Amino acid sequence: MKIGFIGLGIMGRPMALNLLKGGHQVTVWARRAESMQPLLEAGANGAGSPAEAARDNELVISMVADAPDVAEVMRGVAQEAAPGLVAVDMSTIAPAAARRIGAELAAAGVDFIDAPVSGGEVGAIAGTLSIMAGGSESAFTRAKPAFECMGKNIVHVGAPGAGQVAKAANQIVTGMGVLAVAEAFAFAAKNGVDRGKVREALLGGFAYSKILENHGQRMLDRNFKPGFKSWMHEKDLNIVMQTAHELGLCLPGSAATAQMFNAMVGSGMGEEDSIAMLKLLERLSGQE
Amino acid sequence: MRVGFIGLGAMGRPMALHLQQAGHDLHVWARRPASAAGLPATLCATPAELGRRCEVVFTIITSSADVEAVALGANGLIDGMAPGSVLVDCSTIAPDAARHIAARLGGKGIHMLDAPVSGGTQGAIDATLAIMAGGDAAVLERVRPLLECLGKRIVHIGPNGAGQVAKACNQMIMVAAIEAVAEAMRLAAASGVDCAKVKEALAGGSAASRVLDVMGERMVKRDFAAGIEARLHHKDFGLVLKAARKSGVPLPLTATVAQQLNALMAQGWGKDDTASLLRALEP
Repeated sequence: MKIGFIGLGIMGRPMALNLLKGGHQVTVWARRAESMQPLLEAGANGAGSPAEAARDNELVISMVADAPDVAEVMRGVAQEAAPGLVAVDMSTIAPAAARRIGAELAAAGVDFIDAPVSGGEVGAIAGTLSIMAGGSESAFTRAKPAFECMGKNIVHVGAPGAGQVAKAANQIVTGMGVLAVAEAFAFAAKNGVDRGKVREALLGGFAYSKILENHGQRMLDRNFKPGFKSWMHEKDLNIVMQTAHELGLCLPGSAATAQMFNAMVGSGMGEEDSIAMLKLLERLSGQE
Repeated sequence: MRVGFIGLGAMGRPMALHLQQAGHDLHVWARRPASAAGLPATLCATPAELGRRCEVVFTIITSSADVEAVALGANGLIDGMAPGSVLVDCSTIAPDAARHIAARLGGKGIHMLDAPVSGGTQGAIDATLAIMAGGDAAVLERVRPLLECLGKRIVHIGPNGAGQVAKACNQMIMVAAIEAVAEAMRLAAASGVDCAKVKEALAGGSAASRVLDVMGERMVKRDFAAGIEARLHHKDFGLVLKAARKSGVPLPLTATVAQQLNALMAQGWGKDDTASLLRALEP
């Protein structure tokens, strides 16, 4: 398939590489030209603009930071869209923003799918991302071969925006999950108990989770390199809280967690992995 | 003086009347002209027309977007107000929005004060509002005699936006206190204890506060008719948490109270009084 790919950051680069490995013909564009180099070396074509990345392609995929970026690149895409083009945004943005962008593209004759992912950099490199898609059945079917190069658990959740709703729900669970594991570890340490042993014991029971297993191990190793930067998790939880405010939805746990991420960003941990939550808790309880 | 007034709701109407009763020539504009009925005032067709006729214009309306539309939109105040005239915005809006509007008006030589108020409908009627002003100190001195028709405590906080920051702080403390009183009343009731007696006892001690007096009384009487509609506090908490996020300041209590306000909204009490936070705790 002929695919355009826009946005080559921590996530986008390995995702685009996996499309190349899957035998697709990929044209890439990134705001910073040097980000394109590894893809060009791997056989991708380079584009001069988002519009050019869309031209003559069947599918165009964006993986960028925030809703205004998605809106901007998709405006470019709409200019050069061939009839029948499917535009897929895999960034994490507000459901309302995704619906708005989808409507604008529909007006230009482009089918839109919001398809945010979960699984982090590790999942992007391994091609094992979870992909949660919102959009029409026919557009999803056309995009599916590309999704299968990048992910394993691919779910068509519902109409446009539904993918982002699922992703927001994912961020609620992972955000609180990271906080829960960090609190459990701080609790163990303050009680003079080896947290590595606690983790090992818990992995066999009902507290088992991927976050306890993977993020917990990185907390033990004190490896705070991202991974998933805490400012991005803060941004995602802000989408959750904004939506809850608009809908009149009481989310006390998410609200408390969002404030912890807010504190991380405010105290200079924004560029570290979200597991730096452990350091914030240690600081608050004088465990440094 | 020819004074303009926009926003004739529960707060604005008594405020406008105080200005008129102090001998000022009152001009009003209302989105729904019916809301100006019965006011001894000249009704203007657009904010621009009102601006042309007045030396000082007051606004007290709901949202940042509303104030922007009235001040800067088509036929807005900016098209009518003369250089040297003053807009006093008493609405509660985002500090950023206040700064933006002030800068745009300033480009045309029009002064602006952000001057949000605290004290509720009763304070507006009694002319005992607390007024927290952001903007040029000399401009505040010029309009101080007008503000003294509306309130007792008028404090210059700092440059434009500073008044709105102070108001945000006011809302955080006040609504968190309402939640605290609601939780205390709920615990008392659930323990089979007379809430009125508890409130009476507390009023004499360290927990005494205006919120305990006023909101506690409403909760005891289960009088949930709005003073100030809860949806406005819900809106304000959205602004506060947005500002917190921008500064990277954690506000764990404010965030929790915001969720109780969300629950209140979800149950359809947005147009009732914020004392309804009590109802959000009840089964």
